[in-house]
Amino acid sequence: MNTDFWVLVSAALTLGIFSFLYKDNPFYRFCEHLFVGVTNGYAITFYWHRILVPSLINPVSKGERLWLIAVAFIGALYFTRFIPRISFLVRIPIAVVMGYGAGAAIPRVIEAQIVEQMKATILLRSQFINPWTGFSFVLILIGVVATITYFFFSTERKGFLKPISYLGIIFIMLGFGASFGYTVMARVSLLIGRLTFLLRDFLGVIH
Amino acid sequence: MNFWEKLQKIDRRIIYFLLLLVIIIPQFRPIKFKPKAMPPVERLFRYIDNIPEDKALLISVDYSPDTEPELHPMTYSLLRHAFARRVKVGVLTLGILGLGLAEDALKTVVKEFQGKAKTSLDSIIYGRDYVFLGWQTPPLVVLLGMGESITKVFPVDYYGNKTDTIPFLQKIRNYRDVSIVVSIAGSAVPFWYVTYAQTTFGVRVGAGSTAVQAADFYPYLNSGQVTGLIAGMKGAAEYEELVERELNVKERRKATEAMTSQTFAHIVIILFIIIGNISFFFLRKKKR
Repeated sequence: MNTDFWVLVSAALTLGIFSFLYKDNPFYRFCEHLFVGVTNGYAITFYWHRILVPSLINPVSKGERLWLIAVAFIGALYFTRFIPRISFLVRIPIAVVMGYGAGAAIPRVIEAQIVEQMKATILLRSQFINPWTGFSFVLILIGVVATITYFFFSTERKGFLKPISYLGIIFIMLGFGASFGYTVMARVSLLIGRLTFLLRDFLGVIH
Repeated sequence: MNFWEKLQKIDRRIIYFLLLLVIIIPQFRPIKFKPKAMPPVERLFRYIDNIPEDKALLISVDYSPDTEPELHPMTYSLLRHAFARRVKVGVLTLGILGLGLAEDALKTVVKEFQGKAKTSLDSIIYGRDYVFLGWQTPPLVVLLGMGESITKVFPVDYYGNKTDTIPFLQKIRNYRDVSIVVSIAGSAVPFWYVTYAQTTFGVRVGAGSTAVQAADFYPYLNSGQVTGLIAGMKGAAEYEELVERELNVKERRKATEAMTSQTFAHIVIILFIIIGNISFFFLRKKKR
């Protein structure tokens, strides 16, 4: 068994989290809260040393880029949340962030997630050089049309809309099935990772 | 309560215990797997394999310790691949928690290569062959800023060196000098690279993702917006196989080692799903 202090801490915390599989208990709660606290502490330290000190405090204390004080003031308005009388001021930094984020995101999201995705459903003659590839592209086109039809709520599903939307359900179910399979794989992978740590690094029973 | 009703009400702790057994036992006697690389993994491997000398591979370590077992082997394999092929590598992270993991992967893989190097030409040297840019925020500024100038976004590297004095970054100045960015993430970060960096600057994007997220990436793979995809621990094992087989890099393969346990765990889960469904249909038939 490895007696390194940090390996012991790590093993104890891993077992603490696993104890939830039996039932909720104080040891699990302690480990969970410790994780949240450490993560936030780590993040705050880095924000201070890597962002605030070099990008704001150092230049301003040397009398350079004084306009940063105005930016810092707007950012500091987030803390008005804690003073009910002036808490409405929090809207100012939120508006700045939202405006900047939305302005940068909207045209690019439309391009990357709608225009390019629609282009990928257009069938080209070159895709049929290999019949299997051609079949895949036809299947994608059918899947996209059927799934979108399923989410078409403006009219009752009657006539030709009915079978197409049913086909859409089949595609959606296949998608959920694939996602579920992948989710199982992911969760098992994480469990293997922790058990390997316990068996190899902590107990030293496998090599 | 008959047999089928009992099956419907198996205590979840019994299932956990069985899973625990099928994961632990194969760790003592692993079966040697030779994973066959699927096309998305193979595509990424081939692309990185052919990166020209004057271009770089940018690896964005965008995951945290909670997804380490799935994603860390990908970072190891990509670094081994790049160093074996003498491809220049820049490493960065958009999330603070990725810093320690990125540093660990770099230290480990560089040490592996240094152990075998005989001359300075064989060695992997910081500032010449690779650079660790560290972390900067907010992500949007990093994603768009690197299209203009990497050194402006990262004035200092992770170790505090001024980036404009690093030889690597005098040649690799922005996305134009980057052949592909591979974002390894347990979140939507690879999509950010596609949405912001690719649509604005045309840089190629590869992705390493947790299995949970993998299904979301296939439409982007199909449209060509994502060049290649390493999905989950299985994808990592496939990449490890390619690196060992094609480049003769023989190092510890963490993802491949886990494949035996993974396989048995899947068999048990599939059996439980089948049993659960059979008992459900039997009980439904009985009720009718």
